[in-house]
This record gives sequence, C-alpha cells and structure tokens, in this order.
Amino acid sequence: MGDNDFYVRYYVGHKGKFGHEFLEFEFRPDGKLRYANNSNYKNDTMIRKECFVSQPVLDELKRIIEDSEIMKEDDSNWPAPDRVGRQELEVVMGSEHISFATTKLGSLLQVQSSNDPEGLRVFYYLVQDLKCLVFSLMSSHFKISPIQR
Amino acid sequence: MDVDRPRGGARKQKGRGFREPMELEDRLQAGQFEALPSDKSGPGPAKSVEGWVVLVTGVHEEAQEEDVHDTFAEYGDVKNIYMNLDRRTGFVKGYALVEYGSKGEAQAAIDDMEGKELLTQIVHVTWAFSSGPIRRARR
Repeated sequence: MGDNDFYVRYYVGHKGKFGHEFLEFEFRPDGKLRYANNSNYKNDTMIRKECFVSQPVLDELKRIIEDSEIMKEDDSNWPAPDRVGRQELEVVMGSEHISFATTKLGSLLQVQSSNDPEGLRVFYYLVQDLKCLVFSLMSSHFKISPIQR
Repeated sequence: MDVDRPRGGARKQKGRGFREPMELEDRLQAGQFEALPSDKSGPGPAKSVEGWVVLVTGVHEEAQEEDVHDTFAEYGDVKNIYMNLDRRTGFVKGYALVEYGSKGEAQAAIDDMEGKELLTQIVHVTWAFSSGPIRRARR
C-alpha cells in the first residue's frame, strides 16, 4: 500500500435471536466496493454484492471523510461494543489508519450523554452519510433496497 | 486472509479496533460476492442493472432534485436521481447520482455538463461505476 492508498470499511451488527445480523461494506484502493447485509429475520438471506466504482466516487468519499475530521478523533472514551451491538469504522488515509469501534447508537441523546459527545457526534453523523452514499450506489447499480437499520 | 486488505505497516494506528479486533470470518472475508456480468475487466464505464449511472459532484447545498432533473433531462430520460442530504445540516451533501437508460444519453450528459455551472457552482460529471479495477493492485 502506498501513501495515496485509501481504504474505508464500516460494520454494524449484533448477535441475537436471529443469529448474526449485520451490514458491512468496504471501498478498496482499486475501486472495489463490497457490500454484505445479513438479516435472518423472517428467513431473510444474506446479500453479498460487489462492483467497482470510479475514481471520482472514491474522491467524493474521501472528501466526505476529510470534511468530517474523523481522523482527529479517538474512540478511547466512546461506549464500548456490547450486547446491543457493535459498529466499526476503519479508514486508511495518507499516513493514518483508524479502526474505531463502539456500540450501536440509537439516538443523538445517547451521543450527547456520552463521555466524548463532540467526537462521537462526528462519528454518528459520518456513518449515516457513508451509509446514504453506499445505499444509493447499491440501489442505482443493483436495484436492491438495502435494509435500513 | 485477504491480501488486499491494508495492514498497519508504517501507518499511525488509532482505535479500539486494533486493540480488540473482532473475528472477520463470517463477514466480508467469507462467501461469494455477486457482481454484474461485464464484458471488460479494465477501467471504463460499467452498465448497471437498469441503465447507466453518472456521478455529479459540486452540487449546490441548496439544490433541489428538480434543479438536477431539469438540467440532466436535456440529455435523455432520467430514470432516477439519488441526491442525499447531509445528516447533520440537512443541506445537500454535494453529490448526486443520475441514472439514464442508455449509455449514449449518459455520455452526452458527461460530455456536455462536465465543468459547467449548476446553480452558480461548477459541477463535475463522470461515470459512477467502472467495469474493472481503476488501478492495478500492489502487493
């Protein structure tokens, strides 16, 4: 991996009475976008799709991440992953590599009452913006409707 | 183990994900990923299930879907527009995906709108998907 390499991965999921239900996607430096969504509710099956996005899509993704300033944050004081669930955000950008993990965040109130509301708010909104981008890419390319969670 | 996945190396690492990693096996690393058929494997525009998708960036934060539609309908029948809002501010995030039924229509939009002004802002118009890797993987 060179210094210009750019990689993004997001995961959200939990293990419960319907097994391991999760959503995960990643963008690789060569443009490959991989998307997996597993919901066992009502015998729903695993969706696994991949495609290549163009360089301008990666550039737009990079802009969104840079604008958020997530790389300056630290997950030390964020609530740890727990039975409710786990979220992970991994980003490789320039000389930095973050892999943040926290629990599922149900509401902004939960963010505000945490030990790092400013940092967690950055994460809270960024992951929503990333999910929006990925859902739109998947919907337009494959005509599937991702499960919002 | 996936060789393409970046390892830490000389990069500065930060986060709980490094200290308390979670098993990846039943996630992205496992199973077969479905892709659309492609007659090419290199970079270049890729067809989507129902058409051809262009990416518009530099979209004005107060743009309405209608503004984008009116502009891009000049080049053909716009099947769909995806224009997301910034979840914090509620303003347009800055990009839109515009779907056409034919490659020719999408190409015309790219050729004519790239670098043009839309609501006082310069927009960039390009293909959203590629038929293969956009650069060679380094090992």
